Amino acid sequence: MGIENTSDCHVLVIGSGGAGIRAAVEAENFGETIIVSKTITGKGGCTVMAEGGINAVLKDTDSIQAHFEDTMSGGAYLNDEDLVRTLTSEVPDRIRDLFTWGAVFDLAKDNCIAQRPFGGQRCARTCYAGDHTGHEIVMTLLEKLRSSSVTIENEVTVLDLLSDGEKVNGAITCDREGNLGLITADAVILATGGAGQVYDTTTNSTAGTGDGYALGYRAGAQLIDMEQVQFHPTGAVTPYDSRGRLITEAVRGEGGVLKNALGERFMEKYDPKRMELSTRDVVSRSIATEVLEGRDTEHGGVWLDVSHLPREQIESRLPIMLNQFLQFGVDIRTQPMEVAPTAHHFMGGLKITPDTLTTVPHLFAAGEVAGGVHGGNRLGGNALAETQVFGRRAGLSAGKCKRTARNIDDKQIKAAEDKLNSFYKGSTKTADVRQSMKMIMWNNVGIYRNELDLRVAERGIEKLQNTPLKISSSRELSDAVITENMLLVAKLVIEGALLRRESRGAHTRTDVKQTWTNADSPFGHTFFVKGKSGIEILENRL
Amino acid sequence: MKVTISRYDPVTGEQPHFVEYDVSVNTAARVLNVLDAVRDTIDPTFAYRHCCRGGQCGSCAVRVNGEPVLACMQEAHEGDVIEPLDLPRIRDLITDIAPVMAQIAWLNGGSECPEVRQADIDDIKPLRECIECYSCISSCPAISASDFKGPTIMRQEQRLNLDPRDNADRILEAIDKGLFSCTTCRKCVEVCPKDIDTPRKAIEKLRSEAMKRGLSLPAHKALASLIEKTGRSIERKETTFLEQVADVIEPEGEVRATIGFFVGCMFNGRVIQPALDAIELLRLNGIRVIIPKDQVCCGSPLIRTGFVGFIPELQKRNIDAFVKAGVDTVLTMCAGCGATLKNDYDTPFRVVDITEFLCEIGFKAPSKVAGTYTYHDPCHLLRGQGISKQPRILLESVAEKFVEMPARCCGAGGGVKSGQPEEAAKIGAVRAEMVKKTGADYIVTVCPFCEFHLHQVTGLPVKNIATLMMEGHRK
Ligand SMILES: Cc1cc2nc3c(=O)[nH]c(=O)nc-3n(C[C@H](O)[C@H](O)[C@H](O)COP(=O)(O)OP(=O)(O)OC[C@H]3O[C@@H](n4cnc5c(N)ncnc54)[C@H](O)[C@@H]3O)c2cc1C
Ligand code: SF4
Ligand code: SF4
Ligand code: FES
Repeated sequence: MGIENTSDCHVLVIGSGGAGIRAAVEAENFGETIIVSKTITGKGGCTVMAEGGINAVLKDTDSIQAHFEDTMSGGAYLNDEDLVRTLTSEVPDRIRDLFTWGAVFDLAKDNCIAQRPFGGQRCARTCYAGDHTGHEIVMTLLEKLRSSSVTIENEVTVLDLLSDGEKVNGAITCDREGNLGLITADAVILATGGAGQVYDTTTNSTAGTGDGYALGYRAGAQLIDMEQVQFHPTGAVTPYDSRGRLITEAVRGEGGVLKNALGERFMEKYDPKRMELSTRDVVSRSIATEVLEGRDTEHGGVWLDVSHLPREQIESRLPIMLNQFLQFGVDIRTQPMEVAPTAHHFMGGLKITPDTLTTVPHLFAAGEVAGGVHGGNRLGGNALAETQVFGRRAGLSAGKCKRTARNIDDKQIKAAEDKLNSFYKGSTKTADVRQSMKMIMWNNVGIYRNELDLRVAERGIEKLQNTPLKISSSRELSDAVITENMLLVAKLVIEGALLRRESRGAHTRTDVKQTWTNADSPFGHTFFVKGKSGIEILENRL
Repeated sequence: MKVTISRYDPVTGEQPHFVEYDVSVNTAARVLNVLDAVRDTIDPTFAYRHCCRGGQCGSCAVRVNGEPVLACMQEAHEGDVIEPLDLPRIRDLITDIAPVMAQIAWLNGGSECPEVRQADIDDIKPLRECIECYSCISSCPAISASDFKGPTIMRQEQRLNLDPRDNADRILEAIDKGLFSCTTCRKCVEVCPKDIDTPRKAIEKLRSEAMKRGLSLPAHKALASLIEKTGRSIERKETTFLEQVADVIEPEGEVRATIGFFVGCMFNGRVIQPALDAIELLRLNGIRVIIPKDQVCCGSPLIRTGFVGFIPELQKRNIDAFVKAGVDTVLTMCAGCGATLKNDYDTPFRVVDITEFLCEIGFKAPSKVAGTYTYHDPCHLLRGQGISKQPRILLESVAEKFVEMPARCCGAGGGVKSGQPEEAAKIGAVRAEMVKKTGADYIVTVCPFCEFHLHQVTGLPVKNIATLMMEGHRK
């Protein structure tokens, strides 16, 4: 092996979704910036797939306070208040940045940015570009990035963070061919997105493997609320290989209705006030209950129907949905869609300050890899908002980090090399391990959880973690490391789910009876830091 | 499911080669699921790109049975042949897209945001949905024959050109990137997973702005002034078709249909015989042909090259001529005229191609004619009008032997033949190779421009379909 590729910069950004690119274009103002992604820049991750929109208060009829309150109550008050204040007060300016940089958002008749209603929000607050809002944001940011002096590294996977004992100072990388590299930096920004791929059925891109959680954890950073995994209520169920593919919330925002196999609009039972536009955790549990109680469709889902809407509305507002379903032989202008919940978003992640600093010096995190902004449940449209607000802040904070002498820990590199070498002597294919993990997580750590199932999952994942992964060529190196990352993330999710003995946000424990509401729960964040985990107890509420 | 995949690993020094794989997949599996199965169950080093699995990121474009598709959206079928896009190759299905990405322009804005109106957004949107899959780049015939940077590059130039927030001169930039190299073959539209109409919505629009600023190619300027002067794109050198024929030509026997005949400039003034053959063929098939003499150029050469100012005048004259003649169907025998009348006109009558019409109402089978024939799909018939079966039906009825040839632009269209003849010759040379491979003695086509150009680049006799049909009938 041996490391030949080395480069150095002021700020290293890992990940090129909305958060990563936003951070890079900001950090560039402070010095040489490198952005690496394990995919083609901009194409990887989930930002480019985001459809529905991005929340921001832009009108006098709305208020930052209202956005704050909606986010807190949607998040079951598990959110970090400072982060939510930052999010809601800064996102209007971030939308203006995007618009100034050329974003092609839909406009209303008065030529102001159009907004549509999304679940759990009291007014139409979600800005959009048809149903490819994330794509639009990435394209805009990519143009900005291409016009900058940021060095762009495509298809380079970060295997581990480097540290000099006090602070993070770079990363070990691996290219498509399995060649290792080192990038040293004064500051590192993690913007690696979420980890939906640890589940069998997910909306996430294949890059959504949670590497950043694992990288941060191994570097000693604290993670919080990893049990808070959002299941999006409406994922596709057929064909089999497309299961989990997102049916955007905009479908309900535009007026889509949910019905069970008996044709009943079942949301009347669960949330008669907000109906289909209730928060995602509520809608997902409602669908799961309908399915569990046998009122499901042929493929184990429920119906989502827009056929009562005008054709033009469907064609102009939901073109991607229309096309995707047409590809699979369903015309949503006349036929209902079959849907079921699917693993979608990690609300938990690296603990950050409003300046995106993690608990490890010179390591910053922004976007889905960070925790605390969304509490127990994320509102539709708030994740893209998070990428822009905290992406920018990460770029600023990392950019302002002091330049320091490089102090490379050769022992750390040697250890990493030895570890990688050991994969050649392993026994089990990564694809098989991943498959088993996904099934364990889906079957035991889904929407409804209980201690028994969680223990089964815990043992299953532990067993997989003890299975030596096998590779036959350096080209599979990053694949093996990513598989280990996924197992680590799965383990943290289970740990958190066991620790949180309450139902809160997306996390529902069927085996715990609780007397408190979300707002006066005695529990705070679950936390995880190198071998240690626990749950905050709010003494004053006990 | 058995599929064949093109593998390539530069490290081994081996040439790219095909390998057959047999993998098990679920019903309605996509090509991407097949690739996953190969990687997960057979060869973990097999390299291909993928990410969103839902047609949104553009990572996964490959060729399946020769045509670019998104692997994550395309249903897999037994026997599929899967290859990388036709771009510089890195390994297996991974191609080097960095040079293309480097050509994509970015917005040159200021710190203040000027007013953007809903109408601006509506204009930009159809050009904005590009997912940078580069399917169009990999199949554009003009790129390798000129210094053209390619369809999605032009798309982006026009997208920026339309944006009030952009401050750069996108017209000069587009010209610099080869604006006049596009043959308007529409291959890029056919392969685009987002159905982006780059030739019509970007290239022709950019060309028309270039025209307004006097930046058009000299040959195109000359052609435009000829049309404005004479109503025709061809100089009158001999007695034209319209000068030779009667206003109404009655068929033999029972009248099965009546059509208005739109002749087009080439068949009117340059290659007249095929038009005369077509009239005879129509007569023979019981079709009454009405030929309004005040018809003029359809305007195709103007629209394709950006000279749109005179178009309303031509449209009006042609529509009036056929309305006055009282026909409800107008028949064309030139692919370019047909595509223009169908797509760029709003006609109160139906427009049909001759092959389309004959197949629709049924035609008398001619005697077979000796020789091996292949068919060249004119771009403006295949992609401009969606017609590919009908000419083959006619051809098979008359040719002793018919051999297929995959479609590819011959290089004559879009003003390229007149404006950049070397490029037309280069594209033509590729086509000539393809013709040679078929072993055909004759090429048959339905477009006078293709006819002319193909003859030049192949040296083979090129026949109009009507002429060939009449050869059979005359036997
Ligand atoms: C289908 C779908 C639809 C959504 N719709 C919406 C919506 O409408 N509104 C909304 O607000 N939110 C939506 N979300 C959520 C939102 O898109 C994501 O939370 C957000 O985009 C995450 O952005 P990010 O920048 O943090 O990460 P991502 O966009 O996921 O990017 C992660 C980046 O990290 C890179 N990376 C990962 N690991 C490594 C590694 N080891 N080495 C190098 N690079 C690495 C990847 O290549 C990628 O570039 C949606 C999510 C999905 C999946
Ligand atoms: S129309 Fe043909 S020549 Fe023009 S850009 Fe598209 S593929 Fe290339
Ligand atoms: S224009 Fe269409 S084919 Fe070309 S890169 Fe964009 S999406 Fe792909
Ligand atoms: S994997 Fe993203 S377009 Fe196919």
